[in-house]
Amino acid sequence: MTSTPWRRRDWAGRLFVAPNLTAVAVFMLFPLGFSLYMSFHRWDVFRPPRFVGLRNFHDLFTSDPLFLIAIRNTAIFTVGTVVPTVLISLVVAAVLNRNVKGIGIFRTIVFLPLAISSVVLAVVWQFVFNTDNGLLNIMLGWVGIGPIPWLVEPRWAMVSLCIVSVWRAVPFATVILLAAMQGVPETVYEAAKIDGAGEIRQFVFMTVPLIRGSITFVGVISIIHAFQAFDMVYVLNGSNGGPETATYVLGIMLFQHAFSFLEFGYASALAWVMFAILLVLTVAQLRLTRQRSWENSRGLS
Amino acid sequence: MLDRPFGRRDLLRGAGALTAASLAPWTAGCAPDDEDALTFFFAANPDERDVRMRIVDEFQRRHPDIKVRPVLSAPGVMQQLATFCAGGKCPDVMMAWDLTYAELAARGVLLDLNTLLARDQAFAAQLRSDSVGALYDSFAFRGGQYALPEQWSGNYLFYNKRLFSEAGVPAPPRAWDQPWSFDEFRDTAAALTKRSASGRATQWGFVNLWFSYYSAGLFGMNNGVPWATPLKSPAHFNFGEDAFIEAVQFYADLSNKHKVAPDASEVQSMSAPDLFAAGKAAIAMGGHWRYQTFMRADGLDFDVTPLPVGPRRQGQPAHSNIGCTGLAISTSSKRQEQAWEFVKFATGPEGQALISESSLFVPVLRSALDSNGFAKAHQNIGNLAVLTQGPAYSEGLPVTPAWEKIVALMDRNFGPVLRGSRPATSIKGLPPLLDEALRTP
Repeated sequence: MTSTPWRRRDWAGRLFVAPNLTAVAVFMLFPLGFSLYMSFHRWDVFRPPRFVGLRNFHDLFTSDPLFLIAIRNTAIFTVGTVVPTVLISLVVAAVLNRNVKGIGIFRTIVFLPLAISSVVLAVVWQFVFNTDNGLLNIMLGWVGIGPIPWLVEPRWAMVSLCIVSVWRAVPFATVILLAAMQGVPETVYEAAKIDGAGEIRQFVFMTVPLIRGSITFVGVISIIHAFQAFDMVYVLNGSNGGPETATYVLGIMLFQHAFSFLEFGYASALAWVMFAILLVLTVAQLRLTRQRSWENSRGLS
Repeated sequence: MLDRPFGRRDLLRGAGALTAASLAPWTAGCAPDDEDALTFFFAANPDERDVRMRIVDEFQRRHPDIKVRPVLSAPGVMQQLATFCAGGKCPDVMMAWDLTYAELAARGVLLDLNTLLARDQAFAAQLRSDSVGALYDSFAFRGGQYALPEQWSGNYLFYNKRLFSEAGVPAPPRAWDQPWSFDEFRDTAAALTKRSASGRATQWGFVNLWFSYYSAGLFGMNNGVPWATPLKSPAHFNFGEDAFIEAVQFYADLSNKHKVAPDASEVQSMSAPDLFAAGKAAIAMGGHWRYQTFMRADGLDFDVTPLPVGPRRQGQPAHSNIGCTGLAISTSSKRQEQAWEFVKFATGPEGQALISESSLFVPVLRSALDSNGFAKAHQNIGNLAVLTQGPAYSEGLPVTPAWEKIVALMDRNFGPVLRGSRPATSIKGLPPLLDEALRTP
């Protein structure tokens, strides 16, 4: 008697999960498998694919000078985005983690960029970066700094991209870190206060170590996002990742090979290489953190 | 709770029924429209789009049995076409560009129109006799004819008549066979550039409306260097030749050294077409695709003039490029007969006459070029010969399936030169890269 409703519940559970599972299978697993299959082929969409074995990977590593440029740019972009994002969001989260009247308004303002589509914000930032009449150069002019050719000069183009990307990434990181900070028990701070630690010391030696897990999470997610950067670069710096190769990152390279050069097989191979790099980075990062937290827990006991 | 599971079930059933009910009219509603119509894929700027639609409407009026569904391309034509075709929805008729059609032709996407022309002998003969040979042949590739030309979109110069007369500068030449030299062009642009007391330009002598690396290349062409050898399926690019490099340097100097043209930063706040339309630039290099924009600009009195000729080609006529677009039919089209009717209409005498009267394009058939309709639609143009003779004074640009790769390389290597951070001699290293791209399309 009791088993029937349970079995029914099982079925209901499966039914509820089914649409989601189908979506995962159709929109994630199938494209993943398909792109792996295509990475061993030459395919231009219009003609049937031709099996070429490992040639796409071989060409990528041995005869494509732009691959190294894209790797270098992506590395610069990742460092230039992730480090400032973590630092700034730590400070912002600490500032927002106070019981002050009206803090809700500030929190809302800080989280707003999270709600804007990256294409829209790239377009808006294009106006901000305008060399002659852009908001940023006008403000820099007030403090006596001459106009900077943000999107025109190759070396400034990458800086511009990092600025926008950090601006975009900080709110999400702040949400995570703020939540973690709010989970730190008040008693720890009380003890620190009794020991005579000031606010900054409390932050550096109590808060940061206690939310290390969340900081690592933010780091991993930010690296993954930085590696996959595409939409913002495409709108802000053009479809070629210009000027010249200044913002030619892996995402742009992938898109260019797939949709401009119609080399979908080559682009798939590149996608899997990107995946492999990310996997190694993430695993290394997680290992490192696990080791540290183990050391910590042993130290505390 | 367990003895009343039906409430939840009823809710689920209700939700399912609602979803099904809302999907049913949606699927039924869009199916017939899509299946019946002939799809026509084209690109146009907003000013051109409306006129283009009038031509499509006229075709439907004359062929009530054929329904046309126009599909306006977003930026990134190739990307959009690839997506359509990969999804099994290749447009029936598509606009084709002289520089890029070979990518599609080589992949078997475009139908060889010779098969249809062979069946339609009378039309084929009429078209051949009325066409400008070079334009017609620009869509001939590896033995097939993959599109029929519809418009000449080569480059020339627009100039603002009021700004010329205010500055007391004599009017520029009136036809391709009476050209001006690079030096005359630069001096004219300098005389037409005005600056405020702070040194900032308030009026530019020259602005460029096309891709700057292409425009620089056309100066190279007018200094006697064709871009590639041969032009069809090229084996070698000639960008390393001294005459080409001199011309590119001349072009780059216009903005970087002589400051008669805005640099990349200076066109960020106001686009080049807007500068010319607003009377803040005296000469603009572009093609007829900007004609609609300038015609609608308030208080703009403009005329057209040929490109200047470089020192290595002095005494010879100036040349434009065979920029042209045509109409192609996709191999996978299930409505090839209807598509052929549409292509025949737009590229044949009927449509070309309409196009010339509407001022949408510079037509490609001689009968339409020399027609009263075309002259009437361009009555504010004094130097009409620049347009009507343009196709005859055009030189081809390379036709290769590897064009997208060539452009990406040109963009990267011309960039520093046009920005003034490297001398034009630095593009000497470009042809080997381009030739390599040609070998591995």
